[in-house]
Amino acid sequence: MIRPQVSRESYAARIWRKTLAGVGVKFALAWVALLVFCAVFAPFLANSMPLLMSKGGELSAPVLRYLSVDDVWILAAFFLALALYFIPLGLSRRFVLFLLGTFAAIGLSYSLVKPPALVIYDDFRGSGYSQADWRIMPPIPYAPTDYLRDLVSIGLETPLASEGRLHWMGTEENGADVLSRMIHACRISLSIGLIASGIALLIGVVVGGLMGYFSGLVDMLGMRLVEIFEDIPTLFLLLTFVAFFGRSLYMMMVIIGVTSWSGYARYVRTEFLKLRSQDYVQAAVASGLPLPSILFRHMLPNGVAPLLVAVSFGVAGAILSEATLSFLGLGVVDAPSWGQMLDQAVKSSTFNWWMAVFPGGAIFMTVFSYNLLGEAFRDAIDPKMANKPGAEQ
Amino acid sequence: MSQPLLEIRNLRTYLQSGGRVVRAVDDVSFSIPQGETFCLVGESGSGKSVSALSVIRLLPAGIASHPSGEIQLNGHDLLQCNDQQIRAVRGSQIAMIFQEPMTSLNPVMTIGQQITEALQIHHPDMQDSEARQRALLALEQVQMPGATGRYGDYPHQLSGGQRQRVMIAMALALEPQLLIADEPTTALDVTVQAEILRLMRKLQDDTGMGLLFITHDFGVVAQMAHWVGVMQQGKLLEVGRCAEVLRKPQHPYTQQLLAALPENLAKPAEAKYFTEPSSNPQTPLLQIRNLKVWFPIKKGVLRHTVDHIRAVDDVSLDIPQGQIVALVGESGCGKTTLGRAVLQLVAPTSGSIKLQGQELTGLSARELRPLRPKMQIAFQDPHSSLNPRLLVETTLTEPMKVHGIGKNNDERIELAAQILESVQLEREFLWRYPHEFSGGQRQRIGLARALALNPEFIVCDEITSALDVSVQADILQLLLKIRRQRNLTLLFITHNIGVVEYLSDRTVVMYKGKIVEEGLTAQVCGQPQHPYTQKLLAAVPRLLV
Repeated sequence: MIRPQVSRESYAARIWRKTLAGVGVKFALAWVALLVFCAVFAPFLANSMPLLMSKGGELSAPVLRYLSVDDVWILAAFFLALALYFIPLGLSRRFVLFLLGTFAAIGLSYSLVKPPALVIYDDFRGSGYSQADWRIMPPIPYAPTDYLRDLVSIGLETPLASEGRLHWMGTEENGADVLSRMIHACRISLSIGLIASGIALLIGVVVGGLMGYFSGLVDMLGMRLVEIFEDIPTLFLLLTFVAFFGRSLYMMMVIIGVTSWSGYARYVRTEFLKLRSQDYVQAAVASGLPLPSILFRHMLPNGVAPLLVAVSFGVAGAILSEATLSFLGLGVVDAPSWGQMLDQAVKSSTFNWWMAVFPGGAIFMTVFSYNLLGEAFRDAIDPKMANKPGAEQ
Repeated sequence: MSQPLLEIRNLRTYLQSGGRVVRAVDDVSFSIPQGETFCLVGESGSGKSVSALSVIRLLPAGIASHPSGEIQLNGHDLLQCNDQQIRAVRGSQIAMIFQEPMTSLNPVMTIGQQITEALQIHHPDMQDSEARQRALLALEQVQMPGATGRYGDYPHQLSGGQRQRVMIAMALALEPQLLIADEPTTALDVTVQAEILRLMRKLQDDTGMGLLFITHDFGVVAQMAHWVGVMQQGKLLEVGRCAEVLRKPQHPYTQQLLAALPENLAKPAEAKYFTEPSSNPQTPLLQIRNLKVWFPIKKGVLRHTVDHIRAVDDVSLDIPQGQIVALVGESGCGKTTLGRAVLQLVAPTSGSIKLQGQELTGLSARELRPLRPKMQIAFQDPHSSLNPRLLVETTLTEPMKVHGIGKNNDERIELAAQILESVQLEREFLWRYPHEFSGGQRQRIGLARALALNPEFIVCDEITSALDVSVQADILQLLLKIRRQRNLTLLFITHNIGVVEYLSDRTVVMYKGKIVEEGLTAQVCGQPQHPYTQKLLAAVPRLLV
């Protein structure tokens, strides 16, 4: 019997359509999409070196040559995700393929990509590059750590004020372009939000699921564990770790993730306790289905929706944590981040509005977007808000 | 006939739902004389509740509109009243009681406070002591046991029937001329329902109020109504004196509804399987011995067990192959727990359950798995019995795959399609999600899932209780047909005596966790021996008394 090709809307598709119904959520998605675009293509959007140039009939692409290991695997992961979107596969299979592909890309790029160790941005404005036959520069021709020393940038120039150069958002105290730093900082904000929440989600689902399904002693011990982790002050733990082990983005992700799973665990536990007595779960037990099928096929998909809402708020929280830490001067040193830029704005002797408004606005917009997404999603899964056309008579 | 108390002429109520307009009440006219009862009957979605809410103007103004119609109460048109006027009418002239006694009372106020509050809102100059007197009087009127002592009780301290009495007392304290009762006994057990109905009739005799009574149960209609109106899809199809409508229904829809009642359903042509207890001398299919399911009540910091809820207490029961055994009892009597304990969905505290001589208690999940296909379950609530995220096809074929039924997926899908056809659904329904079906269709899919593993024995837990009578009739006939085809054994859990009489070979009556009476259905229902069974059967509202 061939499965007829009627496109019946699945539960997930229905929820997705309802989530997208509002205006605010479209705006939020657009903002997040812009962030993703900036994060993936940052070296092509803001860089001091030409995208493509021809000198003496010889074509070269300095940007490609100078791509870092991270740049390469992020690009690879992005195109893998795009490809998987168009390949008709199950959701879980796509996800697994994406994870495998990404890990492979990380491994390959670490072993294969060898960018020049030293980058001197001034050279790109020197005769070796400027006397090319033709060249295409990125839209923002300044790298985030290019302090424009050869151009004698005095730093802290207000937007569009400097002569001969175009800085849409001005320059910071060392003379680097603010917009370029903003674009490159997207990566940190996005990745810390997603990875920290991912870690928290994984721990939360496992612990909460075990508590909810087995209840009894497991539940009691699990709840005590949850309470212990709820009492750990994330920020102070981060400060302590930074003091002892130095600054690392990955460490921050892990610490934020490990300290914020307790809320998810509570959600999953409650959902599982409720679902366990649902008739279709009882029917699955009565049919003798194996435990993994009951847990992951009949229970988890039906209990995951409120969790995803919580996660979208959690992502916003993680971004704020990183911004707070950077603002306190304890963030990552080598790469720009929005919180760190805010910190710079405060530290300089005069108040420079462009240093505060743009990164602050970006943080606000990102957190706001995730919250909008979370709320739209919560409304979409809430059966009380559902206006069901053609519901049972 | 003198001037009627309430007269409704050409009432239309349209409800806005998304972009659509639903004609919830469409050109309805009827009248209620002083001191008489008008019953609106119909299946769910027929517009009977919306009609009642239109009368008391409780529909949200943004959604509901009345394109035409008059609602005359004592000659005043309620549809022309402004908000202030209608508030004065509500409570003092028209009062309403609702279906759900659990949620209609405010849980943080004592019942006395709630009644006096209603009184003092309508009579601002009434003294506290007088209000208290009136409230106590109202509680005594509704025959609240120990009315004075109950005055300071909170709603959670009362049983469902007592809460409904409080609701009626609140409604009556203001001495309304018209009482609207929207399915006031649907959530109650039959014995409690009988008391509440008796009480309402008595109060009507005493006070001479008019009663607009909404129900789906023709048995209740026969007991309560002077007049009956039958509604379908917003239209009032037939209005008349109660006895006339019930005995000689004119409209085909009314005839169809009455014919669908279990007591009126035509019995299948052949005789019932078992007429004598000794017709099956071998070991019974299912043998339950001294089964106890106790749930511990835990208290204190250390959660030590202080007592047990004895949901099933020392029950022994034999179910022979091929019989339909009805398990009857009121809510909380342990019948559902017994059904689930048989399937090992609830762990029994002690006792033994044998399926075809094989002991089920104490087996691990793995040891139970090969036995699972032999016993299945179908549930009451059509909304929660199917996994909303799985296609019907997955719901049906996944258990088959686990138990090795069918060689490959195509074969299993073909089997699933055949099962769907056997429950009178189309094979194309395999590729749909549960939310695309009506309640009756979902119940059929639930049955199909139970049948998918080719079981010997199915526990049917109130599978028709959430359905309209006509759908219920279809499901019952279907069950009998499947039983015949597959020689199935059913444990049919229900509280509906009409269904029991129609369907079952044997009847088991449970009361407070114990079996109080058991025997052939004709015997148990014809000559009940145990006092509880007698009380239960006497309380069932019959159509023709």
